[in-house]
Amino acid sequence: MSETAPLWAAAVLPFALLALAAVTAGCGAAVSAAAERGPAGSARELTSRAAAPLREALRLLVQQPRTTTAADGALRRAGVALLPTAAVLAGAVLPLGFRSVTDPGVGIVWFNAMEVLAWAAVWLTGWGPNSALSLTGGYRFLAQGLAYELPHMLAITTAALGAESLRVGEVVARQEGLWFALWMPAAFAVYLLSAVAMAFWGPFGHPLGRDAAGGAAAELGGPARLVLLGGRWTLLVVAAGFAVPLFLGGGHGPLLPGWLWTLLKTAAVLAVLLAVRRALPAVRMERYTEFAWTVLVPLTLLQALAVAVVVLNR
Amino acid sequence: MDLRDRLRRAALSRPGVMLVALPGATPVRLELEAELRRRGWPRSESPAAADLLVVAGERDPIGEDSWLDGIWEGVPKPAVRLAVRHPGDAAAALDTGHRLLREDAGTRHDLAPAVPPSGGESAAGRNGRPGGGRGERTDDGAGGHHDDGGDQDDRGGHNDHGGHSDGQGDPDGQGGGQESGHGDSGGGDGDGDGGHGGGHSSHETHEMSGPAGLPMAERAEDRDGLTLDRLHLPLGPALPDWPAGLILRLVLQGDVVQRAGTETLPVRRRKDPFWDEPWLRAARGETVPRAEAARRRCAAHLDSLGRFLAVAGWDDPAARARRLRDGALSAEPGDRLREDVVSLARRVARSRALRLLTAGLGPLPAAEARAAGVSGPAHTAGGDAYDRLLVWLDELGRAAGQFGDERPLARDDRTGPRGTLDGAAPPSRGLLDVLPGLLSGAEFAGARIVVASLDPDLDELTAADRREAAGV
Repeated sequence: MSETAPLWAAAVLPFALLALAAVTAGCGAAVSAAAERGPAGSARELTSRAAAPLREALRLLVQQPRTTTAADGALRRAGVALLPTAAVLAGAVLPLGFRSVTDPGVGIVWFNAMEVLAWAAVWLTGWGPNSALSLTGGYRFLAQGLAYELPHMLAITTAALGAESLRVGEVVARQEGLWFALWMPAAFAVYLLSAVAMAFWGPFGHPLGRDAAGGAAAELGGPARLVLLGGRWTLLVVAAGFAVPLFLGGGHGPLLPGWLWTLLKTAAVLAVLLAVRRALPAVRMERYTEFAWTVLVPLTLLQALAVAVVVLNR
Repeated sequence: MDLRDRLRRAALSRPGVMLVALPGATPVRLELEAELRRRGWPRSESPAAADLLVVAGERDPIGEDSWLDGIWEGVPKPAVRLAVRHPGDAAAALDTGHRLLREDAGTRHDLAPAVPPSGGESAAGRNGRPGGGRGERTDDGAGGHHDDGGDQDDRGGHNDHGGHSDGQGDPDGQGGGQESGHGDSGGGDGDGDGGHGGGHSSHETHEMSGPAGLPMAERAEDRDGLTLDRLHLPLGPALPDWPAGLILRLVLQGDVVQRAGTETLPVRRRKDPFWDEPWLRAARGETVPRAEAARRRCAAHLDSLGRFLAVAGWDDPAARARRLRDGALSAEPGDRLREDVVSLARRVARSRALRLLTAGLGPLPAAEARAAGVSGPAHTAGGDAYDRLLVWLDELGRAAGQFGDERPLARDDRTGPRGTLDGAAPPSRGLLDVLPGLLSGAEFAGARIVVASLDPDLDELTAADRREAAGV
């Protein structure tokens, strides 16, 4: 059912993901501005608010790079560059409709591996500048990783189990009749949580928290900051987008073409995540880890068990 | 070249602003925050991403506040630093800074130098600021000195040579910034670095004995009896959502606070503490409508609430709280405002997630609070950070109910937003005294929430002396 997209798709992919990230960031900025400055008076005002991330990107581009005393520049640069790289590499297995840049037999494992690269990225970025607050931010993400990764892996394993394959295309094909989200709701919910957590954004944005003056990004200015923050939005889009083939039936849907369904579903997931950000304060890991390990892990294990029983009786 | 220029101007159409408030300058900070929000300029949490460093309040005339220079050194080009002394100057000062940024992105413009250079008045005149003459506003602020020569440029020059390529050439600036969480009281590591700032090369970075001359973490036993690294970290005075003028000297193991000590910057202020004004004025016999006191209390709590929520990472209601705070301070009609305040309070109180995340932090039983001289919400709550938040929300609702009350405030009503104003010491003194005890054993993020839940107002600190002097 699924097929590999032509070669040029690989070249287009980063830009497509960036564009999606910019649109998402724009929507996020419009939502934040409504809280900050009241509802927008006119469509023009709304557009101007939504353009804030683009303006910010331009502003950071003309800013001189800076560094700190005894900084490890190589580590920091590696960390900053790694984040968008990881996001785009993870995006390579995202099918648009039924076509992805590549659809390897271990697509789900590939996605997971790329997403974990973000741990290294944030930690290196936090470590590099030789600054206490920045280091605090870096370590916060490692703690976050320990908390969210276990339930997350069980959740995506459950989807693979339901399809009896680690190939993303196969997972989509198996959802032609029934979306996985409907008969594995716990796994889906946990996946949504961990999508936010892996992009260290919104309620899971503590690694870049305001209380630590920007955390891992505290000492980043200019283009480096742009790359890191842009990478974070891209990662969020990819993480949200991966919920579609895993749980929401990929490109399956009536009337509309597959690629449009994929986009619509991705937009819906992102809208839910933006609403979650609006509704929740920052989740601190010293409180969340206990919840993750005592509630979410058993929950996802039970979900996997239930799915396994169904699959065995097929 | 033309295209690059145009691009740069477009990029700086809304400059990033780092706002640093000095103690005693609450009205200036509020005006600046409101003005920045009106303009939609992005706020920067650290100097790294800022274009404009705005200091609210008066710099120490003898240059004791050199931590400000540490932050300034951390602002990459294009950069403008300016000071705003009077609330009314905010808009003009921002305009000036914006103009300088757009005109000349290649220079670092310091309009608020450490020690005002001689001939300052003429410099102000040269910049065409009409009101820059002598008088109450002895000016180094808004219209400032566009310093295009002399020692200030030298300071900028350091950054030009070593700054952005490898950063090793910066004297105290980067050291101060990175050691201290954006600002140091001046006597600490940041300054010590200054002496040999240019000397070390990047090759020394990985040597064990103090990289680049910076002190390493020492070791000490942790709470489980293990010998672990211990880091001395000063927090403040220029962190986001931090009480102006507070410096917390933390001893950290990992991110657990072992010990904490408070220091405060000296308060330079001629008037009553802003948040306590209505009650102090009423105590002096002036006629103050209750509505005004209610609005002030409401705004004070909304300010604290905004900080608390921002530190807790809940940006949406934090932003709302700040918008309503400015509404309460302006002449916004009471009915609409009351509704908004009540609905915000209800929304925050209803959040189970917020309760789960902040309950149990910094418990302060009522008896202990009283013994330490704490009155007001922290005493009423008699519990943890979340309880103190609930008291704010409760008082918010009640204060909002009095927006239309035009009766005069009773002379003996001295219950200011942070506590009783006729005690031996100002309410914030008590809050500062209990703070170190509440912080030891807390995680870093928890410590910040505890500080935000007490939200001491350092403007109050000299109030007691002032009252004695005035014979009230």
